[in-house]
Amino acid sequence: MEKNTTFLWNRFTLREALLLGFCATFIVITRAALRMKLNLPGHSMFFMMFFLVMARGCVPKLGASTLVGLIAGVVSFMLGMGKNGPLIMANFVMPALFVDGAAFFYPALPARLIPCIVVGALASATKAITGVALDVLMGIEEEIIVQHILITTTFSSLFGAAGAALVPSVVRRLQANRLIPGPGDSQS
Amino acid sequence: MGKADLQKRSKKVRSSDYACQFREIDSPVHRIGAGWKLLLGMAFCAAAISVREPWSVGVVVLIGAVYYFAARLTLWDLWRDVRFFLIQMALIIGLYLFKHGMAGLWPGTRTSIQIVLFFVPGIVFLRTTQTSQLMRGLRKIMPYRLAFLIFICFRFVPVFARDIREIAMAQRIRGARLSPRELLNPRSWRDLFHCLMIPLIIRALKTADEASLSAEARGFGLRPERTYYDPEGVRIQNTEVRSQNTEVRSQNTEVRMKRQKTERKQHSEAT
Repeated sequence: MEKNTTFLWNRFTLREALLLGFCATFIVITRAALRMKLNLPGHSMFFMMFFLVMARGCVPKLGASTLVGLIAGVVSFMLGMGKNGPLIMANFVMPALFVDGAAFFYPALPARLIPCIVVGALASATKAITGVALDVLMGIEEEIIVQHILITTTFSSLFGAAGAALVPSVVRRLQANRLIPGPGDSQS
Repeated sequence: MGKADLQKRSKKVRSSDYACQFREIDSPVHRIGAGWKLLLGMAFCAAAISVREPWSVGVVVLIGAVYYFAARLTLWDLWRDVRFFLIQMALIIGLYLFKHGMAGLWPGTRTSIQIVLFFVPGIVFLRTTQTSQLMRGLRKIMPYRLAFLIFICFRFVPVFARDIREIAMAQRIRGARLSPRELLNPRSWRDLFHCLMIPLIIRALKTADEASLSAEARGFGLRPERTYYDPEGVRIQNTEVRSQNTEVRSQNTEVRMKRQKTERKQHSEAT
């Protein structure tokens, strides 16, 4: 049997797809655990950003984070986690798309601290897009939308940046032990 | 009333453990198909967005309440589901009051109510639709490889939850600061990642290796369409091969015996 044939999207092998699925599982588990313990606004972004950037570090291919976001979104929706109903999918997929886009332009992202913090904060802020869309649909005035989104996004960005900031040290340790592809093995 | 009765009654009233949890009861809304529920929800969301006048908001609130309670959900369930919106409601009303004074009270309240109403169909959908029903629906609209990954994610939630508990327990014995109280302190987050997340990711890498090898050994993912490993078929094939082997062996034995007989005959004739 031929090994390393692509399994998904003509890009990921079965092993990589499973690993990304496990990253999505970790997002779901930590989200459920934190919801029971903390209830702080935006706290779920902490582990979500960690695993989204981590997924890109473990599988350095374009679409890795998006796949994790997509699976985590579908599973969270099906488990009835989060108050947003089907919109919860957008809350997962948009930060994931942002991470993938950033890593496409800067492949060394998962191993660098400052870029991770910046991408973590900005990707968490993309969650606000659904909030803005909803506010616009409801006919709220522009000024109030801006203030509302600023308040709700600040916490998400802070937690997202903190979560992403912890990735480089973990990625470097895994790379040093040759458990995940190193900087020279980027495949995107 | 006994303590057990009180507990039973309290459990009945507080019927859900968390927001949007599926309720295993029979109701008219439970019996509606998932597709119809989504269509109804879309129509309701459109109505929730478009209303502006107090009377029309009242009508949509009434329809929403009828839809919610027709699913035999309780006031406790409603509290569980909408309490997340209270902060948002207070924030929006506060911003309107800040900008327009008392004139902003109605637009702020209306917008807050509209936001809650917008999410009611989604909440009722999750409350009344089983995960298995959702999965069956997913299979129809999603490529099987993606659906497989989603099922794997579901399957491994309890497995990794147990792994996390085990690793955390072992690391705490070694002195890592991983208790819920210690984790509130950001200085413990380093331990969280180095003592819990790294072992967890290594375990995930190992599990992905083993699971992919196992699936590939069964020929999974070789064809564009979904195929299933059939252990019964393999067993029958094995049995057939074994019986064929036995037949061949008995034939061989017969041939050998005939040959020996002939040789013995020739030998006796010669002597």
